[in-house]
Amino acid sequence: MPQAALALSDPHPAVALLAHEMRVRRGKVPRGIGGHAVARDQFHITGESYLMRAENGIAVHYRRGDGLTLEAPDDADPRDVALWLNGSVYAAVAALNGLLPIHASAVAWNGRVHAFSGPPGAGKSTLAAGLGAEGLPLFCDDTLILDVSGAGPIQCLPGHKRLKLWPEGMALAGATAGEQVASDYPKHFAEPAAGAVAEVLPLAEILFLEPGDRPELLAITPAERIARLQDDHYTARLFEAAAALPRAERFAQLAGIAARIPMRRFLRPFDPGRFAEGRGFLAIAIRQDAPS
Amino acid sequence: MSILAKDPSRFAETRIDDETVIMSLDSGDFFSLTGTAQSIWRLLDGTRDRAAILAELAAEYDAPEAEMASDLDSFLAGLRAAGLLAAS
Repeated sequence: MPQAALALSDPHPAVALLAHEMRVRRGKVPRGIGGHAVARDQFHITGESYLMRAENGIAVHYRRGDGLTLEAPDDADPRDVALWLNGSVYAAVAALNGLLPIHASAVAWNGRVHAFSGPPGAGKSTLAAGLGAEGLPLFCDDTLILDVSGAGPIQCLPGHKRLKLWPEGMALAGATAGEQVASDYPKHFAEPAAGAVAEVLPLAEILFLEPGDRPELLAITPAERIARLQDDHYTARLFEAAAALPRAERFAQLAGIAARIPMRRFLRPFDPGRFAEGRGFLAIAIRQDAPS
Repeated sequence: MSILAKDPSRFAETRIDDETVIMSLDSGDFFSLTGTAQSIWRLLDGTRDRAAILAELAAEYDAPEAEMASDLDSFLAGLRAAGLLAAS
């Protein structure tokens, strides 16, 4: 019991930092930051602050150490606000505090995190949900926050947002649909079949999802690992902008991270009728993984 | 023959596993070096000309210089095109 009590009151420093920095107050947000005006449907990030203005009038400003200021129309759908806070804003706050957001969904097995990355529509969330049906608990959906500080294994912060699936993904994963995510966003929330893990865990590897004739895992060379980190969707751009490093230092930083993250390509048939084939193959591969 | 050397102001490099990874600071392009390319890159330390590099390469891979020459020349041409060699 004392140990459990200690764990509850003493979260991982990065988790505590993010929780502190994500506190929200209502108020007016500036029209721009760092001398850069931000129009609707745009964002800007400096070394210290972030400002986003959504098309629907929702705007969020963050300054490191000050938390978030939210400006939203009186009739704003709270689900829309939550989507922004839990998505782009969360990733930006993480990046401004030295954490690395990756566009990935993940499951946990044997105390390690197995993440799936790829462009929108690659099937990250559906695969993570489908692996739940194979008994692998969800770790995060869509955004994986990595703590790359220190020399030991890279640590993953547990997911902060609920699993969201398109209707066809819901059917493939065998999940039960909850309420719709937002009025103009036809994804639905889903409960992961094997539950979710809420503790900080080391990263086992990142798998990049690609279509293929049959399920297989292929190696990725070190140069390609660096390039893939650099190419990662919007979250890596946030990290780059937040760090604002010259090209050589940026390369050294990415290389240092790439050297510590095993990556492979996961090819599998993209045909929905063969989804179970890829899911089953990967579930076996993950269960065979053991910390080296 | 002139001494051949890399231009350190034009690239950043690192070694991960068995691979040397170079990034052109001008273009941001990545280059992955393994095998003979990795050996040549190491030998381009500003103390050797083409003939000396070729001789060391032939010794390292236990192969005739004539066999290694085309590898060396095509790699050097690639480095020149990428702007990674110092002007000699």
